[in-house]
Amino acid sequence: MKKQSRLKIVAASAILLGGMAFLVVAMTRSTSMRHFTPALLVAAGAEAHDQRVQVDGLIAKGSSQWDAVDFKLTFAVRDRETEATVNVIYEDRLKPDNFKDGGSVFVEGKYDATQNLVVATKLMTKCASKYEGAESAVPTDETSYTSE
Amino acid sequence: MTAEIGQAAIYLSVLSCLWAIGFLSFGLWIRNARAIQSGRNAVVATFILISIATGALIYGFVTDDFSMKYVVEVSSAAQPLLYKIAALWGAMSGSLLFWLWLLTVGGVIVVWQNYQRNKQTQDTLADYSLIPIAIVQLFFTILVTGLIEGIYNPLARFPGGQVAADGQGMNPLLQTPLMAIHPPTLYIGWISLTIPFAFAVGALASGRIGSGWILRSRRWMLFSWIILTIGITLGGNWAYQELGWGGYWAWDPVENASFMPWLLGTAYLHSVMIQEKRNMLKLWNILLITLAFQFTLLGTFITRSGIISSVHAFGGSGIGGYFLSFIFASTAGVIGLIIYRWNRLKSANRLESLLSRESAFLLNNWLLVGLTLIILWGTLWPIISEAINGEKSAVPEAFFNKVVIIPGILLLFLTGAGPIISWKKITPNNFRRMFLFPLIIGLIGGALTWGFLALIGYTFPLYSVLCSFAAVFVLAAIFAEFYRGAKLRAKRQETSFVNGLNLLIQRNKRRYGGYIIHIGIVILYIGIMGSKGYVLVKTESMTLGQSMEVGKYKLTMIDTFDTEQANYRRMGVVFDVAKNGKRIGTMEPARHAYYAKPDEQPTYESAIRNFGLNDLYIGLGDIPPNIKSGGVVSVQGFYNPLISVVWIGVAVMVLGGLVAIAEKSERSGDS
Repeated sequence: MKKQSRLKIVAASAILLGGMAFLVVAMTRSTSMRHFTPALLVAAGAEAHDQRVQVDGLIAKGSSQWDAVDFKLTFAVRDRETEATVNVIYEDRLKPDNFKDGGSVFVEGKYDATQNLVVATKLMTKCASKYEGAESAVPTDETSYTSE
Repeated sequence: MTAEIGQAAIYLSVLSCLWAIGFLSFGLWIRNARAIQSGRNAVVATFILISIATGALIYGFVTDDFSMKYVVEVSSAAQPLLYKIAALWGAMSGSLLFWLWLLTVGGVIVVWQNYQRNKQTQDTLADYSLIPIAIVQLFFTILVTGLIEGIYNPLARFPGGQVAADGQGMNPLLQTPLMAIHPPTLYIGWISLTIPFAFAVGALASGRIGSGWILRSRRWMLFSWIILTIGITLGGNWAYQELGWGGYWAWDPVENASFMPWLLGTAYLHSVMIQEKRNMLKLWNILLITLAFQFTLLGTFITRSGIISSVHAFGGSGIGGYFLSFIFASTAGVIGLIIYRWNRLKSANRLESLLSRESAFLLNNWLLVGLTLIILWGTLWPIISEAINGEKSAVPEAFFNKVVIIPGILLLFLTGAGPIISWKKITPNNFRRMFLFPLIIGLIGGALTWGFLALIGYTFPLYSVLCSFAAVFVLAAIFAEFYRGAKLRAKRQETSFVNGLNLLIQRNKRRYGGYIIHIGIVILYIGIMGSKGYVLVKTESMTLGQSMEVGKYKLTMIDTFDTEQANYRRMGVVFDVAKNGKRIGTMEPARHAYYAKPDEQPTYESAIRNFGLNDLYIGLGDIPPNIKSGGVVSVQGFYNPLISVVWIGVAVMVLGGLVAIAEKSERSGDS
């Protein structure tokens, strides 16, 4: 009797863990999207066409336009190291906080290689760089703090 | 001068940490009371030294000492005093110092409690526990000395006697009271997890792995748990009020980093009961508390190393490596101790049946740890995917939402089933007496939810029905427990039912506090179900005089305003709000443009109005200068059903936690 119930317990645990593992793998497969820098995305071109992607870069200076009538934000995300840019369109949502020229931005959406355009479903800007406790920033440019 | 004194204090505390580690180890080894006492004194000395350093930094903020690097980084002359002090945890090196200071407070409390205890009994458990505490302190002290690459000493001055004209100040977005208390709350929660972990290590080192350490670590864990619950919720609430996207949780890596130790802590609070009652799971408990502690460090690693891109995290500061090394080293230490004490870690009892309270607890633990690992997987997926096929990938919010839902509902069900199922093995009698009524009520609840949702247009809301079934089942089970217990007490003491209920809770605060937490969990689930599952979002480009509809609410833009405040310009519009054609008031979403930050876009000051348990939430796009004469403004309206229920649920959980922690005796309750 003892042995049998032990077997049952092991079997039940295995089913539970197996189920969870299966769920995780299946969901990862169905939702995972490739992460690109603008330069890499441009280079990938057609290979990334029509795929959900994540792009991480800077908001190109002077590129952002807010169309209040059509409720639409367009801008270009520029590579941190090269001149490569990818255009982004973001509709029916307000601009995220901290959205500003030259600022960091994270874009999730579908890539259209023919127009070099990401139709964004989610935009994230980096959180405010000062004062945020655990998630606080590291100064990116130490020299700017010294007085002249 | 104060900054130099503070720096000296930090260097000295390296010595006091080493002193504590050395003398406590040595004293416990050769059983020398004076050496042990000296080690305890060193723990107190560390607290005093780090307090001096922290005080010196605060002094720098208050006196606007712009020769100090850190003060310039996070403060400015115009910053209100509250935020000058909050600047202490404003960026990395200061927050590490603050973190360290909290840990030294924890060390002193352990010394103090031990002193109180030892008036009656001689017990070396706490002395053993002070060693790991001092080791963790040493790690953080070394980080803030400034000798480590990537982090400067928070008390350092600019080289060559330079003085900045003014500080850079903190972002206005963060200058809200909520944001002033959110980080320190989380810190206290994380830091206090060190202490139950230290008790586990102390138990291993001393060889007494019975329930003594469990009882003492449990209250600390409960404390951490309550604080973490509050801290996590404050963050969500801040995001909801300030960020203008209408939500409160987005599975960002940093949110996950705070949530994972909470899940593990919850698992631990449950599994210790099994050790206490049935003398099982000794090894598991030690592993669990170790894991919970390591996850607080891992959280720091995730957010600071720059390895994971997050909204909160900023690129490579280089300190990630130190954290990772410390995680590996300390885990290796614990594993070493476990192997050393292997013989004493065996369980006295075995699981006897799949359907027993032991199994329910075990399942609860599997699920909580499983959820933690799932969240970890999703959070680290960018690293994992790169390791697997060289392509960096990420999972979106949807991954987490989909993956946690089934284990989550199962956990909810257990919240009710765990406390009413009998130990060892369920009996038909136990099932009839305890389960039948809650199950029936639960089924009715699920059916009613289905009916209601079908009525408003959702044809097959599977998860909501399952969630409602579980929620109602749990509530019925818990209330039945309260009812039975109170009635019995009332009868025995020949008093009223209400008095009986009061007595019941007073006599066993831990158990009934736990039940109150469970009620809070149910409420929280209902809130999450409503606010995550049935939110309505409506966006519209509007001009003055136009209307839009969000659910049953009609919003008419009737006016605009533009006022000058002390340090910002407030612009916005006035909406007339009507429900089902009946006017119920006005709402005024706005944007604040801070004078100090002319090149940042104005912050969102969404208008939130509470209607019963539901919120109407209006965010506003950029306001054109010609708004009065037909200019178009973008409006985003959210109808967030049951969102208040989320906050209420957390409040009830915290209340239950406070009831449970009030049980003073370290003796076990009779659950």
